[in-house]
Amino acid sequence: MDESNHELEQATVLLLACARGDGTAFQRLYRLEAPRMLALARRLTGDPGLAEEALQDTFVQVWRNAVRFRPEKGSARAWLYALLRYRLINQHRRARRDEAEALPGDDWPDPEPNPEQCSMQSDQRRAMQECLRGLQGDRRRPILMAFYHGFTYEQIAETLAVPLGTIKSRVRTGLKGLQECLRL
Amino acid sequence: MIPDNQEEQRLLIAEYVLGLHRGEQAVEIERWLAEDEQAARQAAYWREHWVGAAELLEPARLPPGLWRRLARETGIAVPWWRGLWQSTPTWRFASAALLVALVLAVGPLRQPAPIYTVVLQAPGEAAQPGWRITVSDNGDLQLTPLVQQADYRADRSVQFWTLENNAKGPRSLGLVEPGRSLVIPAEQVGGVESGQLFELTLEPPGGSPEPRPTGPVLFIGRAVAL
Repeated sequence: MDESNHELEQATVLLLACARGDGTAFQRLYRLEAPRMLALARRLTGDPGLAEEALQDTFVQVWRNAVRFRPEKGSARAWLYALLRYRLINQHRRARRDEAEALPGDDWPDPEPNPEQCSMQSDQRRAMQECLRGLQGDRRRPILMAFYHGFTYEQIAETLAVPLGTIKSRVRTGLKGLQECLRL
Repeated sequence: MIPDNQEEQRLLIAEYVLGLHRGEQAVEIERWLAEDEQAARQAAYWREHWVGAAELLEPARLPPGLWRRLARETGIAVPWWRGLWQSTPTWRFASAALLVALVLAVGPLRQPAPIYTVVLQAPGEAAQPGWRITVSDNGDLQLTPLVQQADYRADRSVQFWTLENNAKGPRSLGLVEPGRSLVIPAEQVGGVESGQLFELTLEPPGGSPEPRPTGPVLFIGRAVAL
């Protein structure tokens, strides 16, 4: 098992311990997951203060609602990121940012023909990275702007200065491509 | 409006997980996901896969005070040598203010001249000093009770600890009789520095089975240079 998978399982074990009121497990979960969650919160808000506040609020929510976590429905990490993203998307709509702002994946080359091929990766997270690489840049970028910045269709269209209909079409085509690639 | 077409439904879920639907539309989708097991499973798959995109981000450095704030808000007892070692200015100020109040209350301190003092307070009760520590210029440490001590269970011991730095970890200074003064010679105390942490914990009889505290913190405080 590689380190990343080990961490993923560790987070799930720690979150289950949090549900039993184990404060030490909660602290370990925080040390394990909070650094990358803070990086994501900074991307979503564009404001370090708001990002810290959201991270703190999310972890308070995690501690209080850990009993609701169901490992059979997904990993602790997916649960944590979902809590953080929806909190930020609903509460702190990020202001429009410069189109030139870098996103992970910006330096990936466009794929060869036959781009949206099926991923052979059994690891879901790596499969997503591989499938994102397989998307054409003009489809990938608006999707990543939604994921990392929490942008709506309208904000993406405005930021990229592309008609709303075109952006919707690109995102939906990109999502279909991901769906096929991920075999969802 | 949830579409009837299955392919459209799948796309709607993908859009929703990505955060592209807000307000009433999002509420409607959430209601649908709560009722439709297959749709909920599809959403869970997407969330699981999107972790891969989050993992492309470089982890950020956590601000030092964030865990303390979080522990306070959730009411979680933080192991003292981890959470409390990073002192805040407020904490130092509270210790200094208490020290001034104590000096005024008990009168001038006598010889040998103390070079450090510590006010030990019950966690979360900054206005209620429980013990005072003075470290003389010869290095001896005196621990003095300031209030009548609670009667602890006979099958528990009160243990005295210090933490010079995180790397070394906590060090036991021995067991304490509640309500009774104690003098610890300089060679056992070791060097004391400004800001050094001291605490009393409730442990199994005879003291902690580990080289660190295992029981709850009764009193805690930090050394202040005089």
